[in-house]
Amino acid sequence: MSPEKIRLNTEWLCDCGGCHVSLVDLHEKILNVLESVQIQKCPVLTDEKGYPEAEIGILTGSIRTEHDRHAAIEMRKKCKTIIAFGTCAVYGGLHGAGLAHSREEIMDHVYLNSPTTRTNFIPATEVDGLEKLVTPIDEVIEVDLYLPGCPPHAHFIFEGLSALIEGTAPRVRQESVCGGCNRTMKKSDVTEIKNSADAVADDDICFLSQGFLCLGSVTLDRCLSPCPNHGIMCTGCAGPTMQILTEPNRDIRTEVSERMARLTEIPSEVIRKSMEQSAKTHYAYAMATKMIGDKPTFLIRKWIAEVEAS
Amino acid sequence: MGTVLNIAPVSRIEGHAKIAIHLDDNGNVEDAFLHIQSLRGFEKFIEGRPAEEVPRIVNRICGICPWMHHLASNKAVDGAFGVKPTATGHKLRELCQVMAHINDKILHFFFLASPDFVLGPDADYSVRNVIGIAKANPELATKVVKMRQLGQMMLERFAGKAIHPIAGVVGGFAKPMLEEERLELKRDAETLLDFSLYSLDFAINNVFSKYMDVISELGNITTGFLGTVDREDGSLRIYDGKQRLMKPDGSYVDFEGDDYADYLGEHVEPWAYSKMPYAKSWNEGFDLDLAAPRGIYRSNTLARINVCDKISTPRANAALEQFRSQFGRPAQQTLLYHYARLIEMVYACERTLELLEWDGITDTDIRAKVEPKAGRGVGIVEAPRGTLIHDYVTDANGCIESANLIVGTTHNIAPMNMSVKQAATSLIKDGNYNEGLLNQVEMAVRAYDP
Ligand code: SF4
Ligand code: SF4
Ligand code: SF4
Repeated sequence: MSPEKIRLNTEWLCDCGGCHVSLVDLHEKILNVLESVQIQKCPVLTDEKGYPEAEIGILTGSIRTEHDRHAAIEMRKKCKTIIAFGTCAVYGGLHGAGLAHSREEIMDHVYLNSPTTRTNFIPATEVDGLEKLVTPIDEVIEVDLYLPGCPPHAHFIFEGLSALIEGTAPRVRQESVCGGCNRTMKKSDVTEIKNSADAVADDDICFLSQGFLCLGSVTLDRCLSPCPNHGIMCTGCAGPTMQILTEPNRDIRTEVSERMARLTEIPSEVIRKSMEQSAKTHYAYAMATKMIGDKPTFLIRKWIAEVEAS
Repeated sequence: MGTVLNIAPVSRIEGHAKIAIHLDDNGNVEDAFLHIQSLRGFEKFIEGRPAEEVPRIVNRICGICPWMHHLASNKAVDGAFGVKPTATGHKLRELCQVMAHINDKILHFFFLASPDFVLGPDADYSVRNVIGIAKANPELATKVVKMRQLGQMMLERFAGKAIHPIAGVVGGFAKPMLEEERLELKRDAETLLDFSLYSLDFAINNVFSKYMDVISELGNITTGFLGTVDREDGSLRIYDGKQRLMKPDGSYVDFEGDDYADYLGEHVEPWAYSKMPYAKSWNEGFDLDLAAPRGIYRSNTLARINVCDKISTPRANAALEQFRSQFGRPAQQTLLYHYARLIEMVYACERTLELLEWDGITDTDIRAKVEPKAGRGVGIVEAPRGTLIHDYVTDANGCIESANLIVGTTHNIAPMNMSVKQAATSLIKDGNYNEGLLNQVEMAVRAYDP
């Protein structure tokens, strides 16, 4: 190994593995990267079991178990720059929805109430203890760079890694998914919220104008907007835009309901209510982060209780 | 007191797992366990959500085979809403599923498993990886990277996202295929078919023949098998068909997916988070005893290749016949999972071409009208890692009331535990072991591609 190569460690915490696949799926570019980078630890590709010293450390997934916590801390100790890679690492990700359910509820469901499970107890296992909540990694260790996306598109991964390898500051783009969407927003006379099962949407006009809830305008573009350009509303998997994260009194539902009300004849109040009722869907990816979870406008447990009571 | 050898994490697999080998005072194996570290509770997260949104949520159960969850989920919601996808919608979904299988097989065989064979199980661990292959055989590495790229790009161009797909919708598919797209996909699929045939030859000549002694030993156990076959002629199916559960002696029963709970049960051991499915309908209970296992069956490639009567496409079928003449039916050797994987890759390529040549594939009637309602639906597809079952009950608003999932990998957790124990017991004697031997224990797990 030539000594001047930049050393890279990657580690996965509680996650789906998709972010690691997206790294492998830099495809031919990975061969370029390998010219200047030495991949030491990478659970899908190499057999390194420990945590060697490295310049760059990529962490995917969020913290769900004691094992995850330990791994994040070890990575921090050994790597100069830590990248929180993917929506799970940055915001907790989809399984952050664990916030809406207690650990006990989940365990009961899986081991006691499943129709095919023939045994009737919860294992007290040797597997590293399950923590109460899902935690984004920057609540446990210092993070130097954030790359959300579920998974981030190769375009952004390559851009970020190249900047690090060359020692320049990565470009941080702040466009929302709308920026890359080919649909046009225009005022309509739609009076009702529709769901994807009710009707098939027109391909050229913004979903909001047509009465479908699309999170494109509140979602950071780390994906090149594939969903609205393939007939499907954005569900916000790359996490919220900076504006949503930093302004105390704005969040996903206030922004979207106001914009949609301007584009249709539906009152913003109606849209906001509807989004609260399906908050588990609209806040799916980012509810575990304090940046959303601690907002005075975010009351997910109350909304869920309201739905359950109705 | 003896000692415990931990292999943590098991590397070059697609999930999070570790192995614990318990040695007695003399350094011989007393017991060995494989722990799969994953519990996220998706069944609970999706409760209360509108069912038609769920196919895009459950993708995140597994980023290695998100298409499988996406499509099994769509099938389950179709069932719950009582809707039959249009013929074109159905075939477009199948097309994406078989294409995803091709890409997965390239990833698993070449990126994860092949270093053990191309560089050797005892090669130094720091180079025993795909980067090591890139050094030792740059031509092969470049080819493999290009082919994986070609396959993933086919999916991304046509369906928007290759990882965490969005294009399957309840009642069918989100966008039609244009004739230009069809022609491009066909051209690329022909390239992949050539590569799949090359890969099979490569493996037969450079891997399976060379490592025959390892194959006939490592991780070997005797079990039944579960897979999906064509409802009419019993040929291999991966997107849709009936389920077939085979006993170790080769006898089998066929059943429809809706009835899976009559045939399969799930067992929990106090030492593991992961549940272990077993063949409940055999009425013999559950036991991991290596000499006399009870209720244990396997899924994934070797299982599918064992349960099918034939393969409907010519080249894959020729490969199957050659395989059977050498190893019989059912073949039990664990490392043959790799061989079966490459036969399936040929099938997936041939099937992709078949679907692209089907007359209606560019029709615009891609999606049936859907009305959310109360019901129950079971959606089953063959994921690369095994039979994937999504079972949903919806309420009158079409929201998920309850869900039961059996994920592909879990079928193999019980047999993987047995294979780990078998491998550890035969390799570790009188306290003698080294990194290379422990890697061989991992190889027994890698074959299952958990
Ligand atoms: S961010 Fe998305 S792709 Fe990445 S690990 Fe999490 S769920 Fe998987
Ligand atoms: S809201 Fe959605 S459909 Fe509308 S422009 Fe933004 S991304 Fe496109
Ligand atoms: S859901 Fe939105 S953020 Fe996620 S990939 Fe689609 S367009 Fe991008």
